[in-house]
Amino acid sequence: MTKEEIIKLTNKVFEDAFEIDPEKLTPQAKIFDELGLDSLDIVDLIVALQKQFKVQIREDERVRTIRTLEDVYNFILILKQEEEKK
Amino acid sequence: MQLRRVVITGMGSVSPFGRGVAALTDGIEAGRSAVRKMEGWGQYLGLRSLVGAPAELKDEKLIPRLNRRSMGRLSIFAVQAAQDAVADAGLDPALATTGRMGCVVGSTTGSAISISQAFETMLPDHDLTKLSSMQFFHCISHTATMNVAQCLKLNGWVMATSAACASAMQAIGAGYDLIRLGRQDVMLCGGAEELHPTVTGSFDVLFATSVKYNDTPDQTPRPFDRDRDGLVCGEGGGILVLEDYEHAVKRGAPILAEILGYHTCSSGDHVSESSRPAMVTCMHEALRAAQLEPGQVDYVNAHATATMQGDKEEAEAIAEVFGAKVPVSSLKGYIGHTLGASAAIELAASFAGIRKGLLYPTLNLQNVSPECQGVGHIMGGALKREARVVVKNSFAFGGISAVLVCRMG
Repeated sequence: MTKEEIIKLTNKVFEDAFEIDPEKLTPQAKIFDELGLDSLDIVDLIVALQKQFKVQIREDERVRTIRTLEDVYNFILILKQEEEKK
Repeated sequence: MQLRRVVITGMGSVSPFGRGVAALTDGIEAGRSAVRKMEGWGQYLGLRSLVGAPAELKDEKLIPRLNRRSMGRLSIFAVQAAQDAVADAGLDPALATTGRMGCVVGSTTGSAISISQAFETMLPDHDLTKLSSMQFFHCISHTATMNVAQCLKLNGWVMATSAACASAMQAIGAGYDLIRLGRQDVMLCGGAEELHPTVTGSFDVLFATSVKYNDTPDQTPRPFDRDRDGLVCGEGGGILVLEDYEHAVKRGAPILAEILGYHTCSSGDHVSESSRPAMVTCMHEALRAAQLEPGQVDYVNAHATATMQGDKEEAEAIAEVFGAKVPVSSLKGYIGHTLGASAAIELAASFAGIRKGLLYPTLNLQNVSPECQGVGHIMGGALKREARVVVKNSFAFGGISAVLVCRMG
């Protein structure tokens, strides 16, 4: 999976699940401060990303370091690369 | 201690006839039935009743996402009804955050759709990781009242009643007591419910639903009628604004009605069989609380859901308390049984009709059942008569009775 595909599918999650205007979905956008997600939304973001990318991230400690949309893209990219290595 | 007087100053509803009390009374006055055959229900083995009275979910996106995300279908109905009731009462939004305004909103369960989805998500693989964080907030018993409070930013008393079909009536009764006692000045009270095969199914397994009219849905339910064969589930939300009388007068609020008496009791006898003695006791106690005699009542809005036993017991109970002179009708022929919302929706419709000088007839009541005789059934067309004192009955599985007595403003 390319980074472009990951960006497209991740942005779709933010548009569909959190009703965020696509124009706000820039890589630097801060998930809490700028996109308006809160602690409960993060649970649903994880559920939605797991479904979208068929990955398991609920117990992954790296989730806690995510701050921006770019962090999400990179995290998914790493997961997908790890998956390919297996 | 001097108890305070409590008045109703606003009402809102989302019913199978649409959003708003005007839409509700328009449907009733046109003699329409909102009951239809439900698409897709035929797939359920053992579900014999395929009819329902659905309400339309509309404009829900007007509720901000951060509020809406915790709402199942019934909470959206409750919130929309509450928003309309607050507007109807002309309440200052600033009152919400004074600690003197709260809500009591009931339902039979949390969102039936969300509960079903939660099990469908979790059980096939016994996997909880797919569950949304919002599932809990949709499914809990106080979902409607919690969402009304959060969305309207209320920081007063918030409670939920859960007494199946008497939930809204017990909510009104609880709000009435809180204001009477001086604990709150304004309470949003009522109920909400949603239509789902699991809801109709739970009545169907008890042989309480209508099953003979699947192909002629507008002919059912038939409260008090010879050919009734059970209830039809509906959905929606109904909210009444209850307010301290002095508070309402001070702000020049329109007074729709004053609550004079309320009572609720258990039959202590059987979980599903209706109890005439308990109904009689409840009506007598509500009248006693109102300091009124049965002869002073101008209209009884019956619970009558069109079950074989429930209608019989209620008709006998009404006949015993009021005799045959007081006009009686049930509104369930129009909108089905909206269960936990029914008392609030039906009170709103009754008040609106009475303000126009109309007592609505029981739809589909064509031949009074021999076992439902002896009361003043309103049949055929609306009764054009001034009514001052109104009694509203509400009964529920679990042996629950609840009765409200009001005087029109």
